[in-house]
Amino acid sequence: MKRICYVSAALLASALNTMAYAEIDARAIAFNCRNCHAESSLDAKSSIPSLKSLSAQQIQQALLDFKYDKKPATLMPRLAKAYSDAELAAVAKFLSRN
Amino acid sequence: MAGLSRRRFLQGIAGLGAGVLSGCGGVPLRSGGKAHVVVVGGGFGGATAAKYLRLLDANIQVTLIEPKAKYITCPGSNWLFAGLANLDQLTVDYQDLQDRYGVKLLVDRISSLDAAQRQLRLAGGQSVTYDRLIMSPGIDFRWDAMAGYDQAAAEQFPHAWQAGPQTLLLARQLQAMPDGGVVLIAVPADPYRCPPGPYERASMMAYWLKQHKPRSKILILDAKRSFSKQALFEAGWTKHYGYGTTNSLIEWLSLADNPLLQLDKQNRVLTSEFGDRFRGDVLNIIPPQTAAQIALQHGLADATGWCPVRPLTGQSLFDEFIHVIGDAAHYAPIPKSAFAANSEAKACALAVTSLINQTAIAEAHWLNTCYSLIAPDHGISVAGVYKLDAANAIAPVKGAGGVSARTDAQVAATEADYTRAVYRSLIADTFG
Repeated sequence: MKRICYVSAALLASALNTMAYAEIDARAIAFNCRNCHAESSLDAKSSIPSLKSLSAQQIQQALLDFKYDKKPATLMPRLAKAYSDAELAAVAKFLSRN
Repeated sequence: MAGLSRRRFLQGIAGLGAGVLSGCGGVPLRSGGKAHVVVVGGGFGGATAAKYLRLLDANIQVTLIEPKAKYITCPGSNWLFAGLANLDQLTVDYQDLQDRYGVKLLVDRISSLDAAQRQLRLAGGQSVTYDRLIMSPGIDFRWDAMAGYDQAAAEQFPHAWQAGPQTLLLARQLQAMPDGGVVLIAVPADPYRCPPGPYERASMMAYWLKQHKPRSKILILDAKRSFSKQALFEAGWTKHYGYGTTNSLIEWLSLADNPLLQLDKQNRVLTSEFGDRFRGDVLNIIPPQTAAQIALQHGLADATGWCPVRPLTGQSLFDEFIHVIGDAAHYAPIPKSAFAANSEAKACALAVTSLINQTAIAEAHWLNTCYSLIAPDHGISVAGVYKLDAANAIAPVKGAGGVSARTDAQVAATEADYTRAVYRSLIADTFG
């Protein structure tokens, strides 16, 4: 009986999953930004800026500029091109708040 | 600072616990009121998973089980050969995970896993039950791949593919080698941990040899036809180490159709299938790899030696309550790297909190970025962004990712700087 419940949980989760795709979960993308842009400010001399001091609008503009090759950089243009403008906006909003 | 950010973050996701399965009364999703997630393995995958589970849902109890109290990172370990780092600088501990995030640490080994009871028994005698288990045990070596090369032989001819004493041993052998000596680096076929690692290693060794023993040579004996960031590495070797000339410090040889089959320990000779013999003063033999023994023993791997998973959640194909992440798991085409393990851990932590709280699982996003140093002022990078495709398989996002676009000195210096900065950030994001 237990097993049946778990199986139906998996099925439900997968059904819900399709629904969830309609909404952007910025966390799934934004968490990966922290691999390079450290959340903590332990590394004050780092040449990779912390994103904490920037507004959502500033981050969003930078991401769009990277995506559309208006702002040169070594890595970010390669990454920003993977996401829709709406995803980049959601990521910027999340990063400015967290 | 981080505390405020965490509080805000947790407020932001509070109230997502509405149960969709209330009809299934009695399902023991939470033991003693709180779900318990056990994470096995304290590398980049496991440590990130433990930290992010606690960040995402402070109501989840998280226990991290790792045999070593301190961990030495494989990223950065090649810098030892160039004299740019020492093992202390590459050593991290789990204090922050415990103090700042409330992860419970058990420094112990798993002696057995009872998947039906969802229970682990530890070598120290303790038993631990879990609601969900995240396995991030890393790699082990296939000691049957080359005659004469086994665990005992590795004490003389180090693989140095798990950072620590093996790395030091190899560095000391390089330092003790006579000028004019030959270093052999035997590289396995894909997949293995850190695809660009052998070539960064050759670069860092060449940087040191160029200053101290310039008549020496590094010969890379590769089981592959091509390798990660090949054009960038070769351009860097040409610039710094005479690659392509008779005096080159580095030579690369593909043995894709002529594999190395035997080590003659006495004469320090590697022999290939066609009978070619390669003699070295220092032999760095990187064997083919599999998922760690603990994953193999408990039936989490398939015939490839790696653990197949449902990519969205990281759930093992063989047990829905066990998730596998990091190098041990099959996340191809995402390469086996520390950065990727960290990214896989975050996607897995998001999915696990959703499964526990019975909420919708978000679309998964994975990222890999890998920097390599060719010289202290010359860095290169490759990046990949990954999502599920229509068939629910992991696929690189078209039009994104790729290798460094420019290779002029200014960009190379910037990327060398980023190599070090990203290392520090990745440590802070994973362990800090």
